[in-house]
Amino acid sequence: MAAAADLPPGLMVRDGAPAPVLRLTNVVGEITDLKDLRGQWVMVHFWATWCGPCRKEMPTLQALAKLLPPQRLRVLLVNTAETDDDVFAFLGLVAPDLDTLMDRDGSVTEHWQPRGLPSSFLIDPDGRQRYLALGGRDWAAGPTLAFLRQITQPPAIAGPGNGR
Amino acid sequence: MLQRLLPFWRVMFLLSLAPGAQAADKPPAPSSFSGQGLVVHAQTRTPDQMTAFYAGRGFPASMLTPISHVCFLTVSLRHTRRDVVWLEPSRWRIVDAEGNPVPRLDRDFWNRVWETLQAPPASRATFGWSQLPESRDLQPAEPVGGNITIAQPTGAFTLEMHFATGKDKKGPEIVGSIPGLVCLNPSGNPAGMGGS
Repeated sequence: MAAAADLPPGLMVRDGAPAPVLRLTNVVGEITDLKDLRGQWVMVHFWATWCGPCRKEMPTLQALAKLLPPQRLRVLLVNTAETDDDVFAFLGLVAPDLDTLMDRDGSVTEHWQPRGLPSSFLIDPDGRQRYLALGGRDWAAGPTLAFLRQITQPPAIAGPGNGR
Repeated sequence: MLQRLLPFWRVMFLLSLAPGAQAADKPPAPSSFSGQGLVVHAQTRTPDQMTAFYAGRGFPASMLTPISHVCFLTVSLRHTRRDVVWLEPSRWRIVDAEGNPVPRLDRDFWNRVWETLQAPPASRATFGWSQLPESRDLQPAEPVGGNITIAQPTGAFTLEMHFATGKDKKGPEIVGSIPGLVCLNPSGNPAGMGGS
């Protein structure tokens, strides 16, 4: 885990408790289950189209997804309690490369208890909650991006010729 | 406490007597408090704004009726302090020009209303997430925003805010107020100022 001194503003260290269950479909019915993503860092991002900071932040999540490959950080968007039409119209304009899971009745969001919308949980490769982002931000620049690069850095594998 | 001040069924009865929403005036400009590392903005919303907002999210008409008859105040808060600031609207006071308290309608109140109306879970969730939290330990630089709802006050009113500070709430208390707030009643006039 990154040292607290490396934390960019607005990120909060979590206690490492196992992430709650998250198994949802996207607008075309494809299922994603968080437990199937063990072994990689996952960002679980709760959002809604009516939420101002969410709207501002969304393009930066799309940019982030291009900067860090999904094998290194999988960005899972979870829309809170909106309809396919709401989401389709919004994402198509603002972040067309992103897909979102649909928490159609809001029950998964309620179970996760984010501190508000938007909220982003960073889940480590063991499925534990490590960080929580408070409010919106530019995910694809500055200290936030540097922090994500740092925590998702694959461990160096010492091989023949690597040792000195 | 609030329940005693504002019996649920009495409120529902009063709401049912109020006229429907009509075209409203422009919303008042936001007002703010700034001090001790805290900035709070508050803006009252017109009934039209609120019903349009929630209707646009697919709320059924039955939910829009009570929404159109209360006063919504959108509050945003940011602090630049190094310690924790406690957001606890239950400790705030809303007082009218005569000094009379104006009841705040908390989550329990709305949960009872939505239960009675058998409101769809998705709409309940959206309404809930658009409200200011009932209690939140705001971390340094953590922003927060959302609505609080109050019974229609008579005339202008003042929002008096109290914030505990420190992880254990033992730090110095921050007290601030935002005077001169005015709600528009369902007919678009300032509540208690000749509106229908």
